[in-house]
Amino acid sequence: MTLDARVETVFRQVLAAPDLQLQDDMSGADLPGWDSLAHVNAMFGLEEEFGVRFVGDEFARLESVGAVKEALRRKGVPDPDGG
Amino acid sequence: VSIEERNEASKGEHPGSALADRPSAHECLQRAQEASTRDPDEAVHWLRRLVDAEATFSTWNAASALLARLPDGTTSAATTRSARIAVVGSYTTSQFVPMLRLAALRAGIDATLYEGGYGTFEQEILGADSELYAFEPTHVVLAVHEGSVRFEAFSETPEADLEAETSRWTTLWDLAREHGTRIVQHTFATRGDSPFGHLATRLPGTRENMLRALNQRIGQEAGGHTLLVDCDRLAARFGKSRWFDDRYWHLAKQAVALDALPSLAVHTAAVIAGDLGLAKKCIVLDLDNTLWGGVVGEDGLAGIRLGHGPEGEAYTAFQEAILGLKRRGLILAVCSKNNEADALAPFSDHPDMRLRLDDVASFSANWRHKPDNLREIAEELDLGLDALVYVDDNPAERAVVRQALPDVDVLALPRDPALYARALLEYPYFESTTYSAEDTRRTEQYRARKTVRSLQSSVVDIDSFLRELEMKAEIAPFDALHLPRIVQLIGKTNQFNLTTRRHSQMQIESFMGDACWVHVYLKLRDRFADHGLVAVALAEQNDAVLDIDTFLMSCRVIGRTAERALLARLSQEAMRLDCTRIRGTYVRTERNGLVETMYREHGFELVSDDLQQSVWEYDLSLKGPIVNDYIAVEEK
Repeated sequence: MTLDARVETVFRQVLAAPDLQLQDDMSGADLPGWDSLAHVNAMFGLEEEFGVRFVGDEFARLESVGAVKEALRRKGVPDPDGG
Repeated sequence: VSIEERNEASKGEHPGSALADRPSAHECLQRAQEASTRDPDEAVHWLRRLVDAEATFSTWNAASALLARLPDGTTSAATTRSARIAVVGSYTTSQFVPMLRLAALRAGIDATLYEGGYGTFEQEILGADSELYAFEPTHVVLAVHEGSVRFEAFSETPEADLEAETSRWTTLWDLAREHGTRIVQHTFATRGDSPFGHLATRLPGTRENMLRALNQRIGQEAGGHTLLVDCDRLAARFGKSRWFDDRYWHLAKQAVALDALPSLAVHTAAVIAGDLGLAKKCIVLDLDNTLWGGVVGEDGLAGIRLGHGPEGEAYTAFQEAILGLKRRGLILAVCSKNNEADALAPFSDHPDMRLRLDDVASFSANWRHKPDNLREIAEELDLGLDALVYVDDNPAERAVVRQALPDVDVLALPRDPALYARALLEYPYFESTTYSAEDTRRTEQYRARKTVRSLQSSVVDIDSFLRELEMKAEIAPFDALHLPRIVQLIGKTNQFNLTTRRHSQMQIESFMGDACWVHVYLKLRDRFADHGLVAVALAEQNDAVLDIDTFLMSCRVIGRTAERALLARLSQEAMRLDCTRIRGTYVRTERNGLVETMYREHGFELVSDDLQQSVWEYDLSLKGPIVNDYIAVEEK
């Protein structure tokens, strides 16, 4: 499974939006039902799925979906299809 | 386990098939989502299976949301009891509450949930006219964490402090009981770190020891009307360094790791189910490769593995776990495909059998279809099928029973017999509220005596509760030092926010330089905690009217009358500016229903009202300044 697909699955689950299509340039404001609770849920869902821990700004803010993926790649998460 | 690994691991198991023995949570979720519009009953089936799978936060979060979207009435068909469960807590419970509804569904309860405001558990229980009691709950879950306990890092007078804290909690129980509802108390998970290190165990006054003692006292005090969930045990099993993730506490006031919430929900629901008479009463056991290793009909009495060697010891340990449950009051039965004589032989003749025949209330060994035997066992013991738990090592037999008798709970034993004992002891649905009738009576008498004492000696109404907090506020005009926090609050406060106007830092700075604008913040502390800067007001003078532009408060201090103190300050400012009226506006959003009537509650009169907003005025010349009763304001 590609990194894109895994990230999308997590967002679909934590936002309870099974049909969500993620784009790398999306930020929180573009996501359905996004609020501070959704942010916490998304961060935790990603940490759980990828076995990583976000720190500092990575953790407190979601700049964009692309930035999240970049942070995951930096943490050594394999990306079979992209990157 | 990641999504990828889960998909990999289940390839051989026909994922999604109704006969799947151990579908992953992810598969259950997919099946439930597919079924949700076509066949809601099937969706409920898969949501219940999901609760038994290895939990992840994400799947539970999605499953709880899906459950909330299913049509009304879908869950009542799949359950035999209903309950109205209120959750009031000391931390963010927004994720826990829908999960509890999901866990309740699995436990056989059609639950309607209510979530109290953040951190307001005492106000909700103490206030006779609170929303909590208007909800008319059958059960009130006190979802509290160790941070809500008022022990210092070290207590100089441990006995007195323990007594006072115990009485604080039992008083809440007693009040809830007067309102005809049961309390489900989460006991306090201890963090497992202490500034005193190993010395802590010797010193009764360390916070760690005080919390342990409090948990013990709570256990002694809880009679038949208070249910307990032993969170310290759950946290220990989960791993305390994972249960307590301080990053999430600091970011979002999550006191329990989000992936520990499913287990907390399962156990809370199981305890409530026990109270509603839904606890399982009878364990029905397979024999070959379940109670011993090997097949007694083929291997012979001397050939089965029991008592010796790693495998034999594992089966012995499993039998001892079963005996422990019998000791607790569970009924044991046997259901095996065997010749009866072969099946009986180990019970009468094997030296290492721990279970004896007289431990078993109903014994059925034959070659008939297992569901038929299970029906007979239930009849013989005069139990409903839903009181049975069937335990078998064989996935095919489990699938047959699950399919034919959906009311019977099936415990899927792990492949390795060394893990059998733990799997059985971790099965949550044996929860009964009492051990024996005498035990209950004894506790009841004990509690009745104590109740009288605690009602005499402690805080029982909201007025004294607020007074005893000894709250102090600092109210002052905005300054550079506090500006970042003020900007943050204006930018993100949703619930206790009358107008939700998101002023930028630049706009706020311009208000600060304008003599027509009143700008004040409020910092709050009490006997137990310093809450920091929690409320902000902005108002503009227009001749004789002081018009409130922004009025908001952090939800962590809702229910403490801090808004009253801030309004009182605005009324003083208004008089200083020779205004005769204060005007307040409520602008409706999806999130701020909480403050819809705030101005009315503080003596404002409605001036105009439409769907988007209502405007209120307070006449200073008629009513005089607003006075705050509970908070000592320090001038700065």
